[in-house]
Amino acid sequence: MTNDIAISLPEQRPRQTARRLLADAGESLAPAQGPRSLYIHLPFCAHKCHYCDFYSIVDRQDRQLAFTQRLQRELLAQAPLAAPLESIFVGGGTPTLLAPALWTDLLTTLDRAFDLSPIRSGQGEFSVECNPETATPELFDVLVAGGVNRISIGAQSFNTNHLHTLERRHDPANVARSVELARGAGIGRQSVDLIFAVPGQSLEEWTGDLERAIGLGTEHLSCYALTYEPNTAMTARLERDEFIRADEDLEADMYELTVERLRAQGLDRYEVSNYARPGRECAHNMAYWRQHDWLAAGPSASGHVAGHRWKNTPRLDDYLSIDDEGFAPIIEHEPPDGRRAMRERIMTGIRLREGLEIDVVCAAAERVAPGARRRLETSAAWHKEVGLLIERDRRWVLTDAGFLMGDRVASDLMDALA
Amino acid sequence: MTDVQIRNFSIIAHIDHGKSTLADRLLQATHAVSDREAKAQLLDSMDLERERGITIKASSVTVPHVHKGQQYMLNFIDTPGHVDFSYEVSRALKACEGAILVVDASQGVEAQTVVNAYLAIEQDLEIIPVLNKIDLPAARPDEIAMEVEQALGLPAEDCISVSAKTGQGIPELLDAICERLPSPRKPVTDKTRALIFDAIYDDYRGVIIYIRVFDGVLRVGEKIHMMGLGRTFQITELGKYMPKPVKVKELGPGETGYLVAAIKTLGDVRVGDTITRDLDPADEALEGYAPPNQMVFCDFYPATSDDGKTPDFEEMRDAMDRLALNDASYTYQAVHSEALGFGFRCGFLGLLHMDIIQERLEREGKLSVVQTAPTVSYKVLRRTKGGETELIEVHNPGDLPDPSTILEIREPICRVEVMTPVDKIGEVMKLSLERRGTYKSQTHISETRQLLTFEIPLAELIYDFYDKLKGLTSGYGTMDYEISGYHADNLVKVDILITGEPVEALALIAHKDRAAARGKLLLGRLRKVIDRHNFEIPLQAAIGGKIIARETIKAFRKDVTAKCYGGDVSRKRKLLDKQKKGKEKMKSIGSVNIPQKAFMAVLDSGE
Repeated sequence: MTNDIAISLPEQRPRQTARRLLADAGESLAPAQGPRSLYIHLPFCAHKCHYCDFYSIVDRQDRQLAFTQRLQRELLAQAPLAAPLESIFVGGGTPTLLAPALWTDLLTTLDRAFDLSPIRSGQGEFSVECNPETATPELFDVLVAGGVNRISIGAQSFNTNHLHTLERRHDPANVARSVELARGAGIGRQSVDLIFAVPGQSLEEWTGDLERAIGLGTEHLSCYALTYEPNTAMTARLERDEFIRADEDLEADMYELTVERLRAQGLDRYEVSNYARPGRECAHNMAYWRQHDWLAAGPSASGHVAGHRWKNTPRLDDYLSIDDEGFAPIIEHEPPDGRRAMRERIMTGIRLREGLEIDVVCAAAERVAPGARRRLETSAAWHKEVGLLIERDRRWVLTDAGFLMGDRVASDLMDALA
Repeated sequence: MTDVQIRNFSIIAHIDHGKSTLADRLLQATHAVSDREAKAQLLDSMDLERERGITIKASSVTVPHVHKGQQYMLNFIDTPGHVDFSYEVSRALKACEGAILVVDASQGVEAQTVVNAYLAIEQDLEIIPVLNKIDLPAARPDEIAMEVEQALGLPAEDCISVSAKTGQGIPELLDAICERLPSPRKPVTDKTRALIFDAIYDDYRGVIIYIRVFDGVLRVGEKIHMMGLGRTFQITELGKYMPKPVKVKELGPGETGYLVAAIKTLGDVRVGDTITRDLDPADEALEGYAPPNQMVFCDFYPATSDDGKTPDFEEMRDAMDRLALNDASYTYQAVHSEALGFGFRCGFLGLLHMDIIQERLEREGKLSVVQTAPTVSYKVLRRTKGGETELIEVHNPGDLPDPSTILEIREPICRVEVMTPVDKIGEVMKLSLERRGTYKSQTHISETRQLLTFEIPLAELIYDFYDKLKGLTSGYGTMDYEISGYHADNLVKVDILITGEPVEALALIAHKDRAAARGKLLLGRLRKVIDRHNFEIPLQAAIGGKIIARETIKAFRKDVTAKCYGGDVSRKRKLLDKQKKGKEKMKSIGSVNIPQKAFMAVLDSGE
């Protein structure tokens, strides 16, 4: 378990770095229009979970230092492009595995290179993903000093059998401990991640998990139906018939129960899998879903600036060895494309409680694809007729049934811009 | 030629009992082929035949032989080794005076041995029972000889023990062929009469006809007349396979050989017809045979392959035409199905024949085909508008007339021989009864095995009867069948309705008592292969408007990705774009998309 785990990675060597595309993107932006969000990927994990398709490598302490130094160079290279940051999200991997001393270095560089005043003032959001096993008071103190004001705890389940299926090894009691530690350290906002529709999980067991999570009193919950991502161990096991995937109806029942139960607790669904008290939605994720711009640093991180989308190399070796004036090697780049951007806006926007602003979306769509307005209206009318969509305040919004069928609706609306 | 004695005979056997090896060994023993050539099975020519270890087309080989100073001409007339081709077996036997019945000395008498022996007995042939594979340690020639006596009434002491593999017993067998088989019958008229017992198509010479001359003489250059079809041709070539083709000027009484006469298609020849001289024709044809009956039917449609390419209907027609050139015993006609588009309704002698044609279409025609469930040929007695009754043949449940006009539906019944270990008799009986079988008789074969005879509707055999029999007898049971006639039974058409619309390609004919169970089974399978839609899809089975079974495909409830964050956007967008395209590939009935495999669902009857 000491070697890099890179089984699912493409073998291609990156031939391009982010320097040129970010320069291009920067030229098309007025100074105040720079990205207000930043995603940072810390790839280290203690163990690779079977359902996870995020890029991670099993921890080798000896590379943490080199990695942190490399990451700081990348952040420094990108910083001139950014507006004052309103959200930062540090994901992984297991960000909390990074040694506190290295965290201090990283946070210091962030503070030096970027304008974090919106975050420092409490308006902005600085989230870090946290594994329940690795939360320590020492680390949380370091995070708070660096401006971190929100943690997202990967609980996944409170049932040891289901945690075992997911290859998660933490003690469920550590979830509550992490929440307490965060509160004690002054990290005021917490979110808990849960997974449902785990093979063998009953509706009652899921209700139990949900109640445990509600009992923690956090302002935010993310509840994900287990997804069999390609090239994951979980999918391989499913294909080998090691277990039976949850029935579609059971999954739908679990979802409906979740929405209902959390709504009763004042945790409203504001995105397909996300629930929050009013005003406590995750600002960083909202930036993704509203197709705002964000910068991205670290291996496998994806960014979006001025219509460009790119993805850094997922290979730690390449990330460490290729350094183009601080910019990282990339393996994917999609240049600006009006139709594509509209399809993406529809795809992520329809997943939100706020839905799509009809007039704005139709006008924008019509500009890039003549006839798109009429096609969108026809598609929306059909989905309204079958009860998947409603119009509210001149917005197209999914109904409860529509949220369960979100991909169908999205794919059909997107077809207007094919 | 007057001092040459002729022996016309066939070798008949259960599959794998060593018929072809024995034929090769006999040819080798008469020095007709070299040792090296003997390694290949000469009488089988197609790849497929060799792979499946069966002979599909009959052909004949002539070899000279000397026995006790007397010249003999031995004519081997090869027969197909499978029950589906019993029609071909019997027509080959029609050209013979004798038959060598091969029985594996360790396996013993099998169902097919019995059926083939009956065919030979019906033709009044002299039978030489041969116990093959006596070189094997498990060989029990004495016991098996007793089985032959018990099952077929042929004296045990008449059996000749041989090993086609080592050559042991072959000289004795050749002696028996010369001594025990009769000479051809004497001519009964001086007018020429020859029986067509087979015909094949050759790319270069056109149709090659296999004939057995009974009366008179055929000569190269003469005009001949086909008495049944009324066609006239001129003989361009006569010959014998020895085993390489050797041309001859004439063929006289008792001889077999081939005839070429610039005949372009197999459609111009009818096997079983009598050939006579055009100038001096015979008054009466030889006793021929009824044309082959296609008993099993199914449709073939061009399939959509994984890459989305649908083969052209015309490509399929070309492939059908090519196959028909050398197999006159299957029929095909263009059909159109709302669900599957344009295709062909094909008729076959039996199930194996159907499998072979399908395989040849895919292999030789390089086509991917969708095959619908096989059905049998029904005879429907119905009342016409004028109030009279008429009997029509129906090969497809969709073609059944208005139920209110149907007086009765008759179905083909088989006489089925089942060879079974004694301790499995109860289970075999049970299986047969489940398949609407009637027990007829039981024959003691040995201490451990019995021969059971049933009458079972063909429609019940064509699903998985044989597989079930093999399963419950641990592979030891064997079966063979012959169509024995048509019986009326309480048969009904079961319509399958999807969202209330009948789908003809899924309709079936079943016994009324079993219709609900069959319908339920089929609906259950359809439910598994048809995807959920945005609306609920009712599936129903109905007899004349009365619903006998139902299932429901629930509406889609969940189709949404759980996670769609910053790094997921590109991949997710591509997935949704692709999902849209995938939908167009399906066949659509009403607004329900039905995958091709739904039409295959009718094929399996397994639980």
